[in-house]
Amino acid sequence: MYYFKSIKEKLLISLPVILLYFFSFYHFQMPEIGKINFFSFNFQMILVYFYVLKFPDDLGFGNIFLAGIINDTVVGIPLGTTSLSYLTLSLFTSYIRNATLRSVMTAEWFTFIPALFFSNLIYLLIINNFSNLSFYYIELLQNTFFTFLYYPIFHYIFSRYQNLISKD
Amino acid sequence: MSDNRDDFIIAIRYALLKKGAKQKFSLFFLIILSISIITLDKLSPAFVNPVRAVFTDIVYRVAVVSAQPAVFKTFLGNKIKEHYSLIEENKYLKVEIEYLKQQKFNNAYLKTDNEVLRNALNLSNDRSMEQDFTVTAKIILDQESPYLKSFLINKGSTDGIIKGMTVFSGEYLMGTIIETNYLTSRVLLLTDLNSKIPIIIENTSINGILEGTGNKKNFRLNYLPEGYALEVEKIIFTSGKDGFLTEGIPVAKTYLDKKDNVLIKLLADPDQVLIVQVTNGQISK
Repeated sequence: MYYFKSIKEKLLISLPVILLYFFSFYHFQMPEIGKINFFSFNFQMILVYFYVLKFPDDLGFGNIFLAGIINDTVVGIPLGTTSLSYLTLSLFTSYIRNATLRSVMTAEWFTFIPALFFSNLIYLLIINNFSNLSFYYIELLQNTFFTFLYYPIFHYIFSRYQNLISKD
Repeated sequence: MSDNRDDFIIAIRYALLKKGAKQKFSLFFLIILSISIITLDKLSPAFVNPVRAVFTDIVYRVAVVSAQPAVFKTFLGNKIKEHYSLIEENKYLKVEIEYLKQQKFNNAYLKTDNEVLRNALNLSNDRSMEQDFTVTAKIILDQESPYLKSFLINKGSTDGIIKGMTVFSGEYLMGTIIETNYLTSRVLLLTDLNSKIPIIIENTSINGILEGTGNKKNFRLNYLPEGYALEVEKIIFTSGKDGFLTEGIPVAKTYLDKKDNVLIKLLADPDQVLIVQVTNGQISK
């Protein structure tokens, strides 16, 4: 009985890591409504930002790095691009965590803007300088905007989830 | 001022080097590792390619497995739609059979007539296309990405596929191979921004370059003569000016959208294709 409880606990704690890997392997598609795809957002970035900021021990940098490498392989861009982008996001988030005394959701939400900016800047710089790929700037912009917009929703879901597993 | 700068440097150094209780690697180490991988990937020394190919194959296989629930959902949806459309199709087919029965007799006469005329003009009937190399492959992963319009097929370098080969769906051109691994390959679709092919427009001598825009229903035609206006319902063929693709392969067609703009769409629908033919593009008529 104790054995199963331990496995359940480990699974619950590892859920962010499992989700990070799952969405690196599988890029879900949502139907487009008109010309704007409202459901195009980067779930991994929200996950990385939230967990590095609030629960850094639950999402290791090694996992973030490896998930980025897998994402690059699946999407077909130069290896290491997404990893470096996610790690830049993690660096910025760690800095915010160290520099902030009291955490407020709205403040976290707005500091997500520069974090996304630097992360995407690194991404674009690598794609432009290390590959011959052209880029869908509008789609990336849309994706980044909706990633920022949906952060509070996921903040609520992840916070509730962390509360639930800490009670257990 | 100097205190603020010191605080900033301390916070950044702390973020870069601190490992924490459960962190096995520091951010600094992983950032250096990422930069090294990007550099190695760009330089592509000989020892990296086999490692990359094996790693890519493994990742693709896992990605295929992880996409199965979505594939099953699509399959189920399609089956239900198919079922409901069968009745309508059946009614339509009955009418069409009657019409075709009548046409059959007309065609038999026309065929004979055509053969007689061909013989008179000394034209050969054998106009089939033959490829030097053809491999039929299945699409194993077709994931929408804002960065690259491509899909993965289940044939790789062990089946003789090499980078640059052309991919067809039936008789329509779909794209080119941009990456090969041992067991899988990646096809860059014509819809991608990076896709550019020389074309010629039906019943004209107008040449141009067909470029993808990321949208299968809105291609871009560049290098057209000044003042040339595109007409509706024109088929666009390859011109063969790249020296790789043979001329006359149907690629796209022009159409009128709801706002009366003449746009270009692909003949093959990349979203509906399951099986493709990989060829070396040396199609000889």
